[in-house]
Amino acid sequence: MRRLPQGVVAALLVLPSGGYLALFFGLPLLLAFLGSFGLYARGGDGGFTLRHYADLFGTQAYRDGLVFSTYLAIVPTLVSLAISLPLAVGLAQTFPGRKLFNALYKVPLVVPGIVAAFIVMTLFDRGGLAARLLTPIGIDLPKIVRDDWAVGVIIATAWKAVPFMTLIIGGSLGAIQKDIILAARTLGATPLTAFWRIQIPLALPGITAAFLLTFIGGMGAFAVPNLLGPVYPLPLSVHMYVNAFERNNWGLVAAMGTMLSLISVLVLLAYYRTTRSLRTAYGGEVR
Amino acid sequence: MSQITLTGIAKAYGTSVAIAPMDLTVADGEFLTLLGPSGCGKTTLMRMIAGITLPDQGAIRINGRDMAALPPEKRNVGLVFQSYALFPHMTVAANVGFGLRMRGIARDAAAERVRAALALVDLEPLAARYPRELSGGQQQRVALARAIVIEPDVLLLDEPLSNLDAKLREHLREDLRNLQQRLRVTAIYVTHDQAEAMALADRIIVMDKGRIVEEGAPVDLYRAPQTRFAAEFLGQTNVVAVTAAGLLPWNAGVAGPADGMVSIRPEDIAVTPALDGAGRVLSLTFLGPAVEYRIDIGGTVLRARDSGTGTAILPQGTQVDLTLRVPPHPLQGVA
Repeated sequence: MRRLPQGVVAALLVLPSGGYLALFFGLPLLLAFLGSFGLYARGGDGGFTLRHYADLFGTQAYRDGLVFSTYLAIVPTLVSLAISLPLAVGLAQTFPGRKLFNALYKVPLVVPGIVAAFIVMTLFDRGGLAARLLTPIGIDLPKIVRDDWAVGVIIATAWKAVPFMTLIIGGSLGAIQKDIILAARTLGATPLTAFWRIQIPLALPGITAAFLLTFIGGMGAFAVPNLLGPVYPLPLSVHMYVNAFERNNWGLVAAMGTMLSLISVLVLLAYYRTTRSLRTAYGGEVR
Repeated sequence: MSQITLTGIAKAYGTSVAIAPMDLTVADGEFLTLLGPSGCGKTTLMRMIAGITLPDQGAIRINGRDMAALPPEKRNVGLVFQSYALFPHMTVAANVGFGLRMRGIARDAAAERVRAALALVDLEPLAARYPRELSGGQQQRVALARAIVIEPDVLLLDEPLSNLDAKLREHLREDLRNLQQRLRVTAIYVTHDQAEAMALADRIIVMDKGRIVEEGAPVDLYRAPQTRFAAEFLGQTNVVAVTAAGLLPWNAGVAGPADGMVSIRPEDIAVTPALDGAGRVLSLTFLGPAVEYRIDIGGTVLRARDSGTGTAILPQGTQVDLTLRVPPHPLQGVA
């Protein structure tokens, strides 16, 4: 039997996975990208146009929406990270009731986001449980549902994201060989120094993954900001919904989607850059 | 210049005793080896000196200073781990310089000391590499350089050669001994390899089940062990019963303590073919420098070893006479 050229063999081997990726990830993204320029867009006229981007950046509400979407991605992610990191470290220690706590903190993982939003609403809205409990003793709760800084959204998102991030970060902290930390200690590092210089840099892949996944989730969040967020601005995701189903403006929806994806990709690149330099800085390279 | 004193030190994990109360003194500049099977407590003992395991009771003193309240980072010990435990995200130079950085040594001075330490272990050209780019032997030397660059009061080595192949192990063993003597640093070396212990140590502590079984200089421990455990753990031996009438199982004309046991090293038994010999070769193993025989004599199986290129190789089934090259060594406290 004649043998196929090596290039052909390689192509055939890559075909199943490559083809799957192209069909289910590449193609939809490409269509959204083209649609944002009026090409192959659902309900569009078919000609190349920059109209949708002009619309997006020319309308105050959409510009504010883009900024607000980015805010809703960054702030809850940072808040969650600030809680998850110490939590993951704490959970690695032994303390009484650790097993119970270990099971309990994961509960939000199985609670859908919309339910989390309603929980926050029930607790913190005007006339909510917290207000009813605190008003009699003279504490007036600030507005945190539908407030300008979207505190309610941040709380609900962090409530969901903390166990998720803790799980991933805890896993990557746990994967660090114990001897490595002990070696740092015998060489003169306090527990805190060993944490910053050894554990954090070595757990960075996990921290990065948790950060990015939460960030991207926040970028496209729809239900939670819609329920708990301010009346103005609305995140781009809500504008996308309105433009798709109430105005049938799919070209604009594609432009908004493309912008959200673009920002996610930029953050991803920026984050990889910073973590890499952080890793080097913490490592204390002496070349 | 440091002396280490352990007084009444003990450690238990739940109900299992890791270290039974013991005293131990390591002289300044001494190379001490803790030898024993896995689980005998040797690593626990060493980790207690380093401060990464805390004793339940007893005191540890380095140069007279009580270590009880001192965390590992304040003890000034250099510890080389079995797994090397190099920092994977740092270059060789950064690994070695870590301890100096923690001590706040100025950058230039630190760089010079790192260079010198790497030169000491012949790794200067690899300073900019990462641990993953090094072989096992090179990683081991980085770990060693990292431990000695801080000029520790005591150098602790936890089976540092056990992950290397036999040839490299032998080579590094010599380097290690030379280095220790050149630096005159007090060293405690943990191993389960008796050959390594004998090659390196000024003094060997044989441990079992959290206790010190026996201690002494390698020559004394090997040639005149007091206990059956030490005799059997350090190399091969034949433990044979002896009575007032003579050595069992054959009368070799050597009397020992009545109803005692003696240890006879295989190399101390000379094997000569004799048609009316009391022994018979059960099997033989050719080891290169030596031939090892399993010999049946009066129902007891003894090991004997003959070495040298001129040695005759006696086939299986040969009738032989056995004679002892040195008097057998009596053991204490064994039934």
